[in-house]
Amino acid sequence: MADGTTMVSSVWALAAAALLGALGLYAAVVDGALTARSSGAAANGATTPLVETARLLRQRRRTTVAADTLLWRVGGGGLIAVALLMITVVPLGHWTLFDLDVGVAWFNAMDVMVWALVWLVGWGPNSVHSLVGGYRFLAHGLGYELPLMFALVAPAIAAQSLRVGTVAAAQHGLWFAVWMPVAFLGYCLGVVAFSVWGPFSPALGTDIAGGVAAELSGVDRLVFQAGRYLLLSAGAAFAVPMFLGGGAGPLLPEWVWVLVKTVVVLTVLVWLRRRVPAWRPDKFMEVGWMALLPAVVVQDLVVAIVAVWRG
Amino acid sequence: MGVSAALARYAGRRAHVLLAEVPGNWELRALVERRMFARGWCQAMSPADADILAVCGHPGPEFAGNVDLIWDQMPGPRVRVEVRDAGSVDSVLARAAAELLDTESQRRDAATRCATVEPHADDSGSSESHTGQQDSHHGGMDHGDMDHGGMDHGDMDHGGMDHGGMDMAPAGIALAEGADDRDGLEMDVLQMFLGPVLAYWPSGLVLKCCLHGDVLADAEARVLDAGFDSGRPVLPAQRAAPEVAARECDHITNLLALAGWSSAARHAREIRDLLLEEPSPTDRAQPLLEKLQRKLQRSWVLRWSLRDLARLSDADVEQHRLPTTLAGDTYDRLLAHVGNALALLSNQLENNAFGADADDITTALPDLVRGLEMASARLVVASLGVDIAPAESGSRG
Repeated sequence: MADGTTMVSSVWALAAAALLGALGLYAAVVDGALTARSSGAAANGATTPLVETARLLRQRRRTTVAADTLLWRVGGGGLIAVALLMITVVPLGHWTLFDLDVGVAWFNAMDVMVWALVWLVGWGPNSVHSLVGGYRFLAHGLGYELPLMFALVAPAIAAQSLRVGTVAAAQHGLWFAVWMPVAFLGYCLGVVAFSVWGPFSPALGTDIAGGVAAELSGVDRLVFQAGRYLLLSAGAAFAVPMFLGGGAGPLLPEWVWVLVKTVVVLTVLVWLRRRVPAWRPDKFMEVGWMALLPAVVVQDLVVAIVAVWRG
Repeated sequence: MGVSAALARYAGRRAHVLLAEVPGNWELRALVERRMFARGWCQAMSPADADILAVCGHPGPEFAGNVDLIWDQMPGPRVRVEVRDAGSVDSVLARAAAELLDTESQRRDAATRCATVEPHADDSGSSESHTGQQDSHHGGMDHGDMDHGGMDHGDMDHGGMDHGGMDMAPAGIALAEGADDRDGLEMDVLQMFLGPVLAYWPSGLVLKCCLHGDVLADAEARVLDAGFDSGRPVLPAQRAAPEVAARECDHITNLLALAGWSSAARHAREIRDLLLEEPSPTDRAQPLLEKLQRKLQRSWVLRWSLRDLARLSDADVEQHRLPTTLAGDTYDRLLAHVGNALALLSNQLENNAFGADADDITTALPDLVRGLEMASARLVVASLGVDIAPAESGSRG
């Protein structure tokens, strides 16, 4: 292949997992620091994730009456697994863990799994608020998933490949984010949404006592929250080869560029969280179908025409 | 130093506090909030999330029953404290922090309980001793989850035991019954209670909801411990303007927090604290409040989210005997609260124009929330600025 990605030994999967964990921790630290800064709290917000981890490790696990414990736990742990599976196809410079020829579809399949997993976390405890939260996530899913899918289609059309490395290499000089901004926006919204983050957090809403997370305590809550941060990080990482030119950049080695770009995207997503009110699922459905989906499909059309014209 | 002690010390830096505000003690609750945030703690959204249960005020019998149920559901390490007056807040919180770190006593506490909260088999009679959160599982007995086994269960309150003999109650949870929903489809019916201990919910109010999915098919509101003499002095009819404005800011905080806009909610809460804390806060609070007003007016997402929710015409308002300031939709009411607070601070109002009677609100509430889904219903309730005053001990001699 012209893009020159090489598949590395699967032992490196451990390193990739560690890297993703570091990114997730970074996101949590930034979020804690921003929260503390804006509220003028006495405590140093940057340590919040560590303190919370200690707290949750010390807390007892808890079950509810007639809980579906197996599916409940599968839902929480599954989020971490899905985030890890997502990054297997993200090339770090030249190296990739899994040079799949349908890498883009693979990522998409993983993000659809999140539907089931978040819903299961809501279903498991046999609790009203949790289940309402789970269904809210599905309602959001109906609004964001199709725009996300069509957003992923645009770079694939332009690169004429579903291989992630090829898509990254196809952006010589001009990033896809620049000439297909609507697709990029649709993608970022999708990432925020499948991480149940920011405006897409009604599934964890204060109005339903924490929603999906209402009955989680101790290590179960830790796993669920970690899963959300890892998903956000994996989504940010995948944006780099798809829209931001992969490892392309001056001076620094390619793998450093990938990380730098990932961190920048992640920071922006974390920072944006507190800027906007929540989007109620019933209201967002309208936006998703009436505005976002047509816009992204038109974007695909434009990209397809450009691709044909370039020949 | 052992690992567990180190973990405990580290964990104690960010305790999650579940606030149970006894009706009429909102200022005390606001003070507890302020002091716990100053310690770097945060508010818990549900019993599962809580380390400390802080009861603000002197609870009546029904309220105390609810608090016990919530206590049973906290995972542990757990601490329960009661804050009686403003002077003791700091010492009570300090004691809670110390207890939370006492690993030995927490172990002993843990050893005496089992991991699952069993439905109380003899809970009959306390049909409404449930809180929003706990119903969910504790209330296993009153209402199973609607999906529970796909079977259905009585929508009577204590289904658990009433139906227990029918062998149709897995894990003591009675089965739901079906009914036509708003679109005429048959849905399982689930009974649940919102309140009295629920974040951003008017304290003392209990809304018994009949749910189809998450749509409130019907609701019934009541005030907890109505007529209970808390022994508090009767509040003067005329309260200082900053205090009333602070109450308005508290309502605004609740609504914004429910709308999922944490930064704006925090902004409103800071104004509230300023009004309560400072001796002559008007000069500083006014520009902040105006800034908040501009922020709310500019946000199209907020407008889009709150528009047309429970729109009340002037006729509706009159019919429900509510204050005229509550007319309009939820977004109008939010801005009206801000406007009211501003007017209070600039002395344009003698007293609170929102001073709706708690009885009128509880009578009107079912009509206002019927047919709404839970998120909308919560927003509507918050927009009404319900203030359940304590029973007037004066009137009872």
